[in-house]
Amino acid sequence: MGKTIKFGLTLGVFCVISAGLLAYVFLLTVPKIEANAKASFEGSLREVLPGAESFKSVTAPGAKSEIYEAYAGGKEVGLAVKVAPRGYSGEIVMLVGVDPELRVKGMKILSQRETPGLGTNVEKPKFQRQFIGKGVKDAFEPKKDIDAITGATISSRGVCEGVKIVLKDSEQYRKAKP
Amino acid sequence: MNLWKDFNQGIIRENPVLRLMIGLCPVLAVSNNAINALGMSIAVAFVLLSSNISVALIRKVTPGEIRIPIFIIIISTFVTITDYVMQAYSPELYKALGVFVPLIVVNCIILGRAEAFAYKNPLPNAIVDALGMSVGFTIALVSIGVVREILGAGSVFGFPLFDERIAATIMILPPGAFITIGVLMALVNRMEKKVL
Repeated sequence: MGKTIKFGLTLGVFCVISAGLLAYVFLLTVPKIEANAKASFEGSLREVLPGAESFKSVTAPGAKSEIYEAYAGGKEVGLAVKVAPRGYSGEIVMLVGVDPELRVKGMKILSQRETPGLGTNVEKPKFQRQFIGKGVKDAFEPKKDIDAITGATISSRGVCEGVKIVLKDSEQYRKAKP
Repeated sequence: MNLWKDFNQGIIRENPVLRLMIGLCPVLAVSNNAINALGMSIAVAFVLLSSNISVALIRKVTPGEIRIPIFIIIISTFVTITDYVMQAYSPELYKALGVFVPLIVVNCIILGRAEAFAYKNPLPNAIVDALGMSVGFTIALVSIGVVREILGAGSVFGFPLFDERIAATIMILPPGAFITIGVLMALVNRMEKKVL
């Protein structure tokens, strides 16, 4: 009995020290972690819509994606849309810049867990360049208007699917907007 | 002299990866390029050193019956600290290592050294042991990373060496990890036979 209490107390002391230490480190690092996440997302927004100065998150009823309106010099210069289609393993989170004529202006993969060396090639400019300038009327089908990545048809199709959703949602958002 | 021996044994004779064959899970997973391998080695070295120091300091006041849960608390505390610090100051590396940072908790090198060495030895020896094991782990992990990156992606530490189209993609996929680690183990075994 005495032993049980002693062991319990010893473990308790270790837990308290550890929790205190972790709370301290957490408070120290959390502002930096949040700032990193924000800066990296804003950097990505700027990357997919070169020339835009500020972004505003907007709500779009019925959309499967997150839409951000981009402004430069007080005028709207396009939309940046975040979407997460299914890839080969998990979601491919991507950001697509759409210009006012509803054509793809730039894109960036934010996070993915595709097969290293095969599916991860969706991050390569060589693959992404094919999407630039394409619009709502394009098919976005591997082997037709998009060259899929060798050995990563499913990942390629995921990205195509994502771009299609982005363009559809953008069109819908534009139509609904007065 | 004794300290030197403790340091030395982690490098070749008891190299955690190539001789003891422990901690293989992160080794196989993050050795697909040299930078990830180096980042992982640094994270493991920090946790191993901190946990060895703490265990050696508290070994006299730790009852034998509950030493394992206490080791786990110590190790997971340092892993979580590493996780936060890496997220705050090196987000790129954190993104690349992903789930393998929290998984350092279950890396058997760290618990293994706490149990087999730090719990039974004074502080200086525990520190030296952690350093030796870290160097051994780093050598193993980075050599695997370099070999796989060169053969599989045609670059080393991110610098392109040759056209990646002629590289063997299989080397940066899981089979490449097993092939590389097998060949390295064979080489180390042969080296050891010659030396002794």
